[in-house]
Amino acid sequence: MSFKEIEQLLARYYEGETTRAEEKLLKEFFARDDVPVNLRPHQPMFRFFTAEATHTLSDEQQDKVLMRRIEQYQREASTVRTHPGKRRLYYFSGIAAGLLILFSLVFAIRNEVSRRHHDELLTSSAEGAYTQTKQALLLVSVGLNTGLDAVQHFKTLDNAMEKIQRINKFYNYQNQFINPEWTQAPSTNK
Amino acid sequence: MNFQDFNTKVYPLKDKIFRFARRMLEQTEEAEDLVQEVFIRMWKNREKLDDYRSLEALAMITTKNLCLDKLKARKFPVESWNDHCQFIETIAEEARPDYSDLVVGVKNAMNSLPGQSRMIVHLRDIEGYEIDEIAEVMGMQENAIRVALSRARKRIREILINDKSYEFQRN
Repeated sequence: MSFKEIEQLLARYYEGETTRAEEKLLKEFFARDDVPVNLRPHQPMFRFFTAEATHTLSDEQQDKVLMRRIEQYQREASTVRTHPGKRRLYYFSGIAAGLLILFSLVFAIRNEVSRRHHDELLTSSAEGAYTQTKQALLLVSVGLNTGLDAVQHFKTLDNAMEKIQRINKFYNYQNQFINPEWTQAPSTNK
Repeated sequence: MNFQDFNTKVYPLKDKIFRFARRMLEQTEEAEDLVQEVFIRMWKNREKLDDYRSLEALAMITTKNLCLDKLKARKFPVESWNDHCQFIETIAEEARPDYSDLVVGVKNAMNSLPGQSRMIVHLRDIEGYEIDEIAEVMGMQENAIRVALSRARKRIREILINDKSYEFQRN
């Protein structure tokens, strides 16, 4: 391949138009030591590309570490997936839930017992009976009053109805005035 | 996909993943960790791997996304640490027989490119991917890849050959 062709290839390379095969040719060309002076400025770049492609991870050590990690991961996946820390968390949350249920049960039972005791006290003694009756009556009286409030609304409704009746009467009179025979029927109905 | 398949089909991609990650992160150690992460992700996804058209593209996409996450998470103090690591790596590389000063210059020129064009140049000129494969990894149109590739290559040339004497000479 002539230098002229290399120059053309190089120009197309910088335009991003070369194929992979052509780029390989360029790399091979610049790997040589007898590159003409005018092309030398481009040499380091192609040499760098070639050299970088050979750069590998492959310390034997590195490979081993990788494989071990994958194997380890596989073993983890095939057995139990839970983390030891996570498992401990499960234990503690179980204990906490148990304690919570126990405490709430104790609290509920004690509450119930004290309430019954209180009731018994109220009904057994005469004074208790008196206070209980008083409380009941009080409740009734309060309820009655709220009922009365509601009845007040009926009264306003009644008033309104009366007014409507008045309008109705006026309408009837008007009809009688305009056409006494025709309105006879409704007025008799009324 | 079982463990054997995984070993024969996915595991050999390790060097490509490593190089791609190192190009992005500019740091060897972080890139090595990232390779592990990519493999773990792929392994977790192993039930679905058979459905993918190209495992390699999937691996590279995963690498790209993880790298972008890493880069986003970096904060100022990490940068200076990064510079330090880079310095040590540069020294190590200069000691390699196939690395001249000029070649290290190319590396710096490439690192000065924005992430996207850097990835595209890497995939094309170092890994030798076809344009459609790069388009798949980058999630871009093929034409856009070509344009970006051309621009990035010219940018590297510009950095390496500060005076544009060659340009004038040729035209």
